[in-house]
Amino acid sequence: MLLADVLRTALIQIRANKLRSFFTLLGIMVSVAFLIAVIAIIQGMNAYVKDNVASAMIGSNSFQVRRTPLNFAPISDDQWDVIQRRPRITPSEAMIVEAAVPNAEAVSLTSGWPTPQVDVHWRDRTLGDVLIFGVTAPHQVVQDYRIAVGRPLSDLDVRERRSVIVIGAAIAEKLFENVDPIGREVRLLGEHFTIIGVNQRKGRVLGQSFDGFILMPISRFEMLYGRRSTTTVSVKVATVDDVAPAMARVEEALRVARGLRPGEPNDFSLETADALIAFWKTLTRVLFAVVPFIVSIGIVVGGIVIMNIMLMSVTERTHEIGIRKAMGARARDIERQFLAESVALATLGGIIGVASGWAFASLIATASPLPARVTSWSVLLAIALGAGVGIVFGVYPARRAARLDPVHAMRAE
Amino acid sequence: MSDFITSEPSATSTGEHPISTTGERHAVTSIPGATPSRDWVIVTRGLRRDYDMGGEVVHALRGVDVAIRRNEYVAVMGPSGSGKSTLMNLIGCLDTPTAGEYWLSGVLVSKMSDDELARVRNKEIGFVFQTFNLLPRATALHNVELPLVYAGVSSVERKRRAAEALDKVQLSDRMHHKPNELSGGQRQRVAIARALVNNPSILLADEPTGNLDSTTSAEIMRVFQSLADHGQTVIMVTHEADIAAHARRVVVLRDGLVSSDDRRSAFAARVATGAPH
Repeated sequence: MLLADVLRTALIQIRANKLRSFFTLLGIMVSVAFLIAVIAIIQGMNAYVKDNVASAMIGSNSFQVRRTPLNFAPISDDQWDVIQRRPRITPSEAMIVEAAVPNAEAVSLTSGWPTPQVDVHWRDRTLGDVLIFGVTAPHQVVQDYRIAVGRPLSDLDVRERRSVIVIGAAIAEKLFENVDPIGREVRLLGEHFTIIGVNQRKGRVLGQSFDGFILMPISRFEMLYGRRSTTTVSVKVATVDDVAPAMARVEEALRVARGLRPGEPNDFSLETADALIAFWKTLTRVLFAVVPFIVSIGIVVGGIVIMNIMLMSVTERTHEIGIRKAMGARARDIERQFLAESVALATLGGIIGVASGWAFASLIATASPLPARVTSWSVLLAIALGAGVGIVFGVYPARRAARLDPVHAMRAE
Repeated sequence: MSDFITSEPSATSTGEHPISTTGERHAVTSIPGATPSRDWVIVTRGLRRDYDMGGEVVHALRGVDVAIRRNEYVAVMGPSGSGKSTLMNLIGCLDTPTAGEYWLSGVLVSKMSDDELARVRNKEIGFVFQTFNLLPRATALHNVELPLVYAGVSSVERKRRAAEALDKVQLSDRMHHKPNELSGGQRQRVAIARALVNNPSILLADEPTGNLDSTTSAEIMRVFQSLADHGQTVIMVTHEADIAAHARRVVVLRDGLVSSDDRRSAFAARVATGAPH
């Protein structure tokens, strides 16, 4: 029997009983759709974290020198004690870091955690729970902020401990609305500060706004809050490839400055956006492996559905199989015919499932903050799974059909 | 329905028919080791078929010797339980015997594998059944194409040959109808066209008029007659004596054995006198 005829017969059969064919492929279709959507969401989230979250928290092409590591994973009490005993990063150490990376684009000092929240008053209006960061002038560059109006903080502002601030776009909007904030005086913690600049929007990351802050010269900040224990030095380099060598130089310089002997561990932490991404990956590794696996089980169930419906089909078509065999169909002709049907159905289910999954993922991407990105490998995987399931679960019914005795088969019905 | 084949029937139709004589047949089947020639389309020797029916063994055929020559028109008769359907299944290569041999056109088929038998069925045998056995959801044309599909013939060639065969049974105008849109007689003619489309050695008909009224039966029997007149070897299984009387030779089975094997005239005489048959 020619291959073209095998396929043609299969398609005729599928079209002949559209409702049954639909139900047969429904199982595969739904589970493939979910698989595609789930993988799309996972891929999207990974990309999102990489593109946005990581660079929002640690600027792109940057790394941080911190007292404590950026590790959110559970730490043992002993480890915690060791970390707590670490010395603070001092301003002179900040200068050592700066000297170690002369080619850096910017080196800034930032007040660390916990970030204080204050009420900001202007005339008779008040904005509550605004975050305040004490920073040096290069902070603007390190964090990839752009000034919208006015000017950013300068080295002079820091040296002279001026009572000036740069505010985020959200503050400008909420407190000042259409009024130009530049030059205005606001009160916080009982003291007066002049607004000299407004930053452009950075937008929201996973629902969190990165525009609701006040930037103050760190020297002025320390007058209000004292020196924080987790001041951070941030270094921005020109390209991604410069990060590792720059980190190495800083590490060496700091170790020497602190008199650490070879073999002694660092009593400070160097963190990059990569570390954040790696942390994210660890966090989600199990989840992102388990969920697709569970959904794949759905595909197996779809296969079992196909097998049962094909078995039913074989029983119903016993008479027809007898006729075909009487006309000269060999066992393998019959087997191929039925196998072609189940593979065609399963593949069709896979394709429709991919299309539905794509639509579903797009819907999620537009309707929620969750990003979703359909990848080509997941499409191929889904279709291959569909076809594979069609073969695996179609073999048994096809063999049953092939083994029918023509004389008995023709007596059926 | 007029004669549907336009050429003259062969000259031998009037009596000098290559029908095998009792003597010839005996010679062919009873010499052990002798390989039948191509002239002898069907030769069986000691054909047995037993069925295991849940513990009990049923001996459907107990040792049947038949020898049928090319171009014969033979009826196989017998009451139900005589084994005629079993014999037909064996001759049609739908089944293999428990014991004995069967040569089809000189080839020993009784020991063939399933795949080989399928090929023989496809190329050498044309079946016509009482219940027509057409594919219900396929058109007449596609039904007739079926043996060619399994012979691996290309789609274009298939359609041409199937159309030709349908033309021979005068159903060209019904080519694209499905069986449920055809009368009983038309369905049987589609079945006959299907049986002939691959130019088989033998045409095997099992009660071909069983589901037809008398007028249509007569019509169909005329088709078989015409085919036989034009050289087709026809073997018809029936339990009706008046159908059997259309053939030129009648083999009667009883209890799994050949009870009589005569020319039509002798058979008719036998029936007339009420002698056992």
